[in-house]
Amino acid sequence: MSAPAPKVLLIEDEKQIRRFVRLAVEEEGCQVVEAETKARGLIEAGLCKPDLLILDLGLPDGNGIDLIRDLRGWSDVPVLILSARTQENDKIDALDAGADDYLTKPFSVGELRARVRALLRRRARSGEAATPVIEFGEVQVDLSRRVVSRQGVEVHLTPIEYRLLATLLGHPGKVLTQRNLLREIWGPSYIESSHYLRVYVGHLRQKLEVDPTQPRHFLTETGVGYRFQS
Amino acid sequence: MQKDAASPNGFSERLSPWQRAGLTVLACCATTALATPLLGVLDQANIVMLFLLTVLLLAVSLGRGAAVLAAILSVALFDVFFVPPRFSLAVSDLQYLVTFAVMLATALITGQLAAGLKQKAAEAQIRERRTQALYDVARHLAGSLVVEQVFELASQFVAEQCGGRAAILLPVGDEDNASWLGGEAVRIEPHLARIAWLGKGIVHNDEMASGGYASLYIPLQASQRVRGVLAVAFPEDRPELAEESQDLLQALASLIAIAIERLHYVEVAHRTQLDMVAERLRSSILSALSHDLRTPLTALVGLADSLSLIKPPLPMPALETANAMHEQAARLASLVGNLLDMARLNAGKVKLRREWQPLEEVIGASIKLLGNALAEHPVKVALPPELPLLEFDAVLLERVFCNLLENAAKYSPAGSEIAIAAQLQDESVEVAVQDRGPGFPSGNLEGLFDMFVRGEGDSGKPGTGLGLAICRAIVEAHGGRIAARNDTAGGACVRFTLPRGVPPVVEEEVA
Repeated sequence: MSAPAPKVLLIEDEKQIRRFVRLAVEEEGCQVVEAETKARGLIEAGLCKPDLLILDLGLPDGNGIDLIRDLRGWSDVPVLILSARTQENDKIDALDAGADDYLTKPFSVGELRARVRALLRRRARSGEAATPVIEFGEVQVDLSRRVVSRQGVEVHLTPIEYRLLATLLGHPGKVLTQRNLLREIWGPSYIESSHYLRVYVGHLRQKLEVDPTQPRHFLTETGVGYRFQS
Repeated sequence: MQKDAASPNGFSERLSPWQRAGLTVLACCATTALATPLLGVLDQANIVMLFLLTVLLLAVSLGRGAAVLAAILSVALFDVFFVPPRFSLAVSDLQYLVTFAVMLATALITGQLAAGLKQKAAEAQIRERRTQALYDVARHLAGSLVVEQVFELASQFVAEQCGGRAAILLPVGDEDNASWLGGEAVRIEPHLARIAWLGKGIVHNDEMASGGYASLYIPLQASQRVRGVLAVAFPEDRPELAEESQDLLQALASLIAIAIERLHYVEVAHRTQLDMVAERLRSSILSALSHDLRTPLTALVGLADSLSLIKPPLPMPALETANAMHEQAARLASLVGNLLDMARLNAGKVKLRREWQPLEEVIGASIKLLGNALAEHPVKVALPPELPLLEFDAVLLERVFCNLLENAAKYSPAGSEIAIAAQLQDESVEVAVQDRGPGFPSGNLEGLFDMFVRGEGDSGKPGTGLGLAICRAIVEAHGGRIAARNDTAGGACVRFTLPRGVPPVVEEEVA
């Protein structure tokens, strides 16, 4: 590999957590820059231009969500959130503000490394031209022709089902919040009607998953939203 | 003050009818005695005037009866002592008959008028006094801070205005078997109080008047509902007071009702505020505790985990130790998670983020979340296709499924199947999680859902006895029930229900 090592900025106030996160991320062949506070983190983000940002939501000098909002003004670097399980609303706010993924504390090193890999891969691929044909499981989606087939047989999707599918496919691996999806597909007046989203995700699973009750591609992030995984 | 006010009309009322008659006779005789020496000086017409004046004065001071008596007596005395022939009822000149008739008529009419006026004045005075008293009691009630104060003001008012004893009865409990609070001052008949309360009308029963029982029951009708009953007992010798003072007591009852309602709302507002403060405190303590416990645990789990990344690799025994540390730390983390969940669920009201959603989604998410813990157990999900959307908090219901699946995996042999099934009922949906293990130990199945209770023979398996307790708290917060039983085919089965409600309509797409 001749490409320079990707840079990861780690913003976390707890020293021991920084320590093992650094170890795990370095194992992925990354270079790690650390910051302890929100203010320092923003400065480092501007200075070192990281390829990935790992952010603890509860920082001593402010909320991580505000940092993401600031950051999104001038950077589209992927952001991975570290949060406690009880902070469902914070997670949603952070994702709505532009974060890409989250990990719930306590998490294992294996999970962390998998998420870091996925986000960096996506970052690397974002430069390439988007491929019109996406394949996952038994399914093939041709975005240019708007044709979806499963095991070679064409599957009929309604316009909304197709829009939902295209939106999810457009952000592989990223957690899309309910609010986000509802606004994107049904419009702002449907933001409170989460049952629409749930019913239509159910339709997609029925039509495209091998076992709709244990989906492998259209994953539920309970209480937060959905994620597509190829 | 009110006792003084009673005296002006008290004088004549304190006299018996005989005494009043005596006084009247005396006054008329005195007038005769006074006028006799003047007979030569004054004209007879003027002497008539003296008698008329006497009648007027008697009417004013002693009332209607005295006025009539005085009128007749005056005519008789005038005839006997002043009309010739004197000392005889006989009349020499017939024109005196006209004098007598006019005198009698004038005396009767003026007497009647004067007595009537006096009575009206007395009544007005009573009314004014009562209005004043009502006004005073209203002012005091408006300033009252506790219900006891209202009780005291009411009984004081009744004692002063009606000479009776009063009690305010407040219903305790529901309509069917209410008991009464506050009936110490008088003896009450609960049945009559109940009629007044539920019928919202005045109940008056004179038969009750003896023996110190309250005979009048007035509902305390406030704007929202009847708050209680005002019971009044009157002195046994004056039962007519109940009739006379009913209007006054009704006015008093409205004032009391308003005061009690006001105090009720003050208390509600106060309690709500206390609840809010307590709730905020609880949740801030819990989240601080949660953060402080989780941070070192996260570090511990991660650090133990990262020992395997160290280069050059650690010798095998050290790696095994690192693995064991990781496992223990993860267990501790889940234990702390359970304890915090339980604390949160037990601390006051559980706040549910209910949304309408399909059940299968949360089941799928739970299976995915458990991941490796279910590696050795295929999970079979069988949901009826017509299963409607249900309204629940997905995060909490995920906990229920995770706990039940985890239990099933822990207590059944590797490779055996775990089945999740749902069944539509009239008002609810019943969900069952079933394993093929040895089942629950026989005995108290209900007790399994209590905190820190574990099945017998569990000591070999890790666990705290919180999992099922958390499940029950969550299911009950949703308005459902949960129960455990052993399947006839072997294996443990936990069933819980969720209310169906009325799901929102999802409009079909116009394709």
